[in-house]
Amino acid sequence: MKGLLWIAGLAGAVAVVVLVLMIFGLLPANTVKLVEGYMPMQMLFELAFFVGVFSAISFLLNKSGFPLPRFWQGIAFIAFILMYLKYRVYPPIPFSVRAMYGTVTIVGVFMWMSGNEEDWRKFKQPILNVLDAGTRFHKTLRTGYLIGIPILLWGFSYNSFLPNLDEPIELRTVHPAPPASTKVHGKTFVLQTSQNPYRVNPEGKYDQEYTNAQIVEQGMGRLMKPNANPWDPKAEGYLKYVREGGEIFFQNCHFCHGDNLNGRGLHAFAFNPIPANFTDPGTIAQLQETFIFWRVSKGGIGLPREGFPWASVMPPWEQHLTTDEIWKVVLFEYWHTGYYPRTWD
Amino acid sequence: MGGLTRKKLWSIVALGAMIGLLLLPTIMLLPTIMSLPALAGGGGAPAAGGPPPDVAKPADAAAGKDAGPKVEKGRDVYYKTEGIVTGAPAPKTADNSQFYPRYNFESRVLLWFANQQHLYYGSFVLAVPIFCMIIEFMGIVSKDRAMAKKYDQLAYDFIKISLTAYSLTAILGGILIFTFLTLYPAFFGYLSSIFRPVMHVYALMFVAESGTIYIYYYGWDKMKEGLLKWIHVSMSVVLNVIGTVLMMLANSWIGFMMSPAGVDEQGRYLGNIWHVIHTALWNPLNVHRILGNMAFGGGVVAAYAAYRFLASKTDEERAHYDWMGYIAMAIGVAFLIPLPFAGYWLMREVYAYRQQMGITLMGGLLAWLFIIQATMIGILFLSSNYYLWQALGRMRGAEKYQRYIKYMVFVLVVGFLIFITPHTIVMTPAELKAMGGQQHPVLGNYGVMSAKNGGINVIITTTVLTFIWYMRGNKLSTVSWAKFGNIFMGVFFACAYVNIIWLAIYGYYIPANVRVGLSVPQVATTLSCLFFMTALNGVMMRGAKQMGPIEWGKISVRSQYALIMLATAFTWMMGLMGYIRSSVRLFWHVNEIMRDNSPWAYTHTTGFAANMISFNVLFFWVTILFVFWLGTLGVKKAPVEAKVPIPGRAPEPAVGH
Repeated sequence: MKGLLWIAGLAGAVAVVVLVLMIFGLLPANTVKLVEGYMPMQMLFELAFFVGVFSAISFLLNKSGFPLPRFWQGIAFIAFILMYLKYRVYPPIPFSVRAMYGTVTIVGVFMWMSGNEEDWRKFKQPILNVLDAGTRFHKTLRTGYLIGIPILLWGFSYNSFLPNLDEPIELRTVHPAPPASTKVHGKTFVLQTSQNPYRVNPEGKYDQEYTNAQIVEQGMGRLMKPNANPWDPKAEGYLKYVREGGEIFFQNCHFCHGDNLNGRGLHAFAFNPIPANFTDPGTIAQLQETFIFWRVSKGGIGLPREGFPWASVMPPWEQHLTTDEIWKVVLFEYWHTGYYPRTWD
Repeated sequence: MGGLTRKKLWSIVALGAMIGLLLLPTIMLLPTIMSLPALAGGGGAPAAGGPPPDVAKPADAAAGKDAGPKVEKGRDVYYKTEGIVTGAPAPKTADNSQFYPRYNFESRVLLWFANQQHLYYGSFVLAVPIFCMIIEFMGIVSKDRAMAKKYDQLAYDFIKISLTAYSLTAILGGILIFTFLTLYPAFFGYLSSIFRPVMHVYALMFVAESGTIYIYYYGWDKMKEGLLKWIHVSMSVVLNVIGTVLMMLANSWIGFMMSPAGVDEQGRYLGNIWHVIHTALWNPLNVHRILGNMAFGGGVVAAYAAYRFLASKTDEERAHYDWMGYIAMAIGVAFLIPLPFAGYWLMREVYAYRQQMGITLMGGLLAWLFIIQATMIGILFLSSNYYLWQALGRMRGAEKYQRYIKYMVFVLVVGFLIFITPHTIVMTPAELKAMGGQQHPVLGNYGVMSAKNGGINVIITTTVLTFIWYMRGNKLSTVSWAKFGNIFMGVFFACAYVNIIWLAIYGYYIPANVRVGLSVPQVATTLSCLFFMTALNGVMMRGAKQMGPIEWGKISVRSQYALIMLATAFTWMMGLMGYIRSSVRLFWHVNEIMRDNSPWAYTHTTGFAANMISFNVLFFWVTILFVFWLGTLGVKKAPVEAKVPIPGRAPEPAVGH
C-alpha cells in the first residue's frame, strides 16, 4: 500500500511539474492534449487525479515527519484550481465562469478545512498567530498586513473608478424563445406541432425512428452508416432529401457554418461571434426542427426582442430559398452532425 | 364538574368538531356541484366582480343582440372541448389609470412584495402543521414515555411558532387582495369572475383552517391522554387536509394564469370549473409547492432553533435547541431531496405546454435566473452536508468518517460546478472571440440538461451517503453479516455513482425525447440509495454497539450558521422561483388570453430582480424574528430539577407550556 502511495505521489509530482512548465511556456502547451470530443470528462478525470495525488503527497509528507500545514494546503489547492482553470483549459474560459468556479472552490476548501474541529483549529492557527502577534516575526507580518491590506483595497477602489475602455460584457441569449407560429412564403407553421415533411420512411410517412437510424455515427469521426449514404445514386426518399439538403447547404451555408458544420467556414472569423457550431451538443441537438426552420427562414434580422444584442448576421433565407429547400437543409444538418431533433412524444 | 365529566365533555366537543370539520368540505362543495348543471345549461354567468363597466359593455351589447333561446358555444383553449359560453370575455385593457391606477410607484413591485410576503407566511403555516402531525404521532406511538413527552413538547413548540405566523398570513392575505383590487382592478375582476364558483369554498376553507388550528393549539393540554390524544392528532390530519386543499385552490389561480383552460380564445368561461382548476400545470405546481413548503418550513424552524441555540445561556437549553434544529433540518432535507425531481417534472410540463415558454425559462431570457437557482440548490445541499459533518463531532466514535470529508467535498463541488455551469455565458466580445465562438467545448457540454441531471443526482446521492454516515456515527453494527453488509453498501453506492455519470454521458448520444426520459433511471438510482441503503443501514444498526453518547448541545457554532444559511437560501430561492414563474408570462396577465397593457409589462433586469428578492427575504426574516420573539414572551420557566442526563437520549425540553 505504501509503495502504491509513493508511486501515486511521484506521478502526481511529475504531473504538477509538467503542468507548471506548460503554463509558463517551458513545455509546449499541447504536451498533454485535451482531446476534442472528450474534453469535459478529461477535465474531470484530471482534477480527480490531482486530488488523489495531492492526498498521497500529503500523506507521505506527514508520515515522513514533514507535514504540510493545513492552512497552506488549502491556499495551495485554491491557487492550483485557479491556475488550472485559467491556463490548462482551452479555449480560454470567460472570467465570469472562472469567477463562479473559483468562488465555489473557495467554499469547498472552507468546508474541507472546517469539516472537523481539529482541522479547523489547524487551519485557523496561522491566522490567529498573526493576529495575536506573539513572536517578532508574526508582529512584523501583522504590521505588514495592516499597511498592505488598506493599500490593496485602495488599489482595487482606484481601479474601479478608472474609466474603462473595454467593451461591455454581454449577456447574449443564445436561444431566444421562438414565436408560437411563423409565416414563411405565405404559409403559417405552428412551431409546436409542425413537422419536417422530408423526415419520412420509404412509405412516405413521417418517421423519426426510421430517419434517426440513418444519421451518421456520433463521435470523433462522424462516420456514415454502411447502408445510409445519401450520395449513393440509388438513394431514395429520406437519404435523397438529405443529399439535396446537403447540396443546398454547400451552395449557401458552408461559407460561414463550415464544411464540417462546426461554425468555422471561410468567412466565419469575420464575425464575432462566429457562426453557430452545429456539432456542439448545445445548439441544434437541444432544439426542435421547427426552431431551426424558423431561425433559418427569418435570419438574424428576425430575432425577437429578447435576442438582444441580435449578434447574428444570418440572412433571412426565406428570401433566397423555398420552404422545401429550408426543410431539406435542416434535415441535412441533423443527418451530418449525428444529432436528433428534440421531440416531445 | 369533576375531572372525568370535564374530560367527557371535551371528548364530545372534540368529536363534534371533528365530524363537523370532516363534513365541511362536502357541504362547501355542494353549491358548486349543484350549480354545475345550471352552468352547463347556460345560467349563472360569472359576472360578479367582473371587468369595469365599459369593458363589459361590448359583451353585454353582444349578448343583448343575440337575446333569445340561442346559446353560444366556445372551444376550450386547452381541452379543445366545446362548452356553452357563460362568461364575459377577458377585458382588453389600456394603459390608463382606469385599468391600472397610478400611485407614483411601480404597481407591479408593490404587488410583488405583497404576494411574496403572503406566500412566505402561507408556506410556513401550511408546512408546520404537517411537522406537528408527524412529530405528535411519533410521540404517541413511542414506547419510551420520556421520549414521547419530548416529541409532544417539540410538536407543541412548532405549532406555537406557527400560530402568530398564521395571524400574519391572514393579514398579509387581506393586504394582497386590497393591493390587487386597488392596483389591478380589471385583472382581478376577471380572475375572480372565472373562479367565482369556488370562491366561497376558498373563503370557507380558510375559516375551517382557522377554527381547526385554534382548537388544535388551545386544546393541547386538555387533550393530552387516551382517546382524546388520538382525536387531537386526528385533528392535525384534518387541519392538513384543509390546508392542502386551500393551497391547491390558490395554485389553480396561478396555474390558470400560466396555462389557461376552461375558457375560449376570448377568455370566456365555458361552464366547467374543473377545467379551469385542472390546467396543464396545476398538478406539477401542487406537488412542487407541497414539497417546497415542507422544506421551507423545516428550514425556518431549524433557523429558529439555531437562533435559540446561539442565544442559549445554559447547556440544557443548548442541548434542547440542538436537538430541535436537527429534527427540523432532517424533515426539511427529507423533503428537499425529492424537490428537484418535482421541479424537473414541472419544467417538463411547461415545455410540453408551450415550447417558447420553456425556452424563455431555461434557454432564453430567464436562463440566468435558473443558473442562480441552481446555485441556491447547491448551497442548500452543501449546507445540509456541512451541518451533518459538524454533527458527527458531537458523537464519540464518528471520527473515523471525518477523514473522508475532503473527498465528499470534492465530489459535491464537482457536481455543483457542473450544475451551475451556464449555457448562456456572460462575457465580453473579446472573450467571445478568444473562445472561438459561442460554444465552448467543455462548458458547452456542462451547460446542458444531461450533464446537469448527472450533477444534481451526484450531489443528492452524496447527501444520502453523508446522512447514512451520520446515522451510524457512534454505532458499531453487531449483526453477523456486518462485513458483507458494509461491502454491499459500498458497492451499491459505487454502482449508483457509475450509473448516474454514465447515463449523463449517454444522454449526449440519444434523441432528446429519450434523453429527457433518462432522468427517470437517474432519479430511480438516487432514490434507491435513499430508501434501500437507509433501510439496510437501519437493519444493520439494530442492536448496534454504542461507541459513545450523542452529546446534544456539543456541536460547533458553525453548524448553527449552516442552519441559518440553509433557511436563508430556501427563502431566497422561493422568492427567485416565484419571480421566474410569474415573469415567464412576459406581457400577459393570463397567458395568450389577457394581455398586460400596464406600463410595467416588461421583464426586469436580473440585478433589479435580485435586489427585490433580497429585500423580500430581509423583510420576511425581520418579521419572522419578531414572531419568534413574540413566541418567547409567553414562555414560563420550567422549575429547575436535578436531572441525570441519559447518554444518547434527546434532551429534556427547556421550557414548559
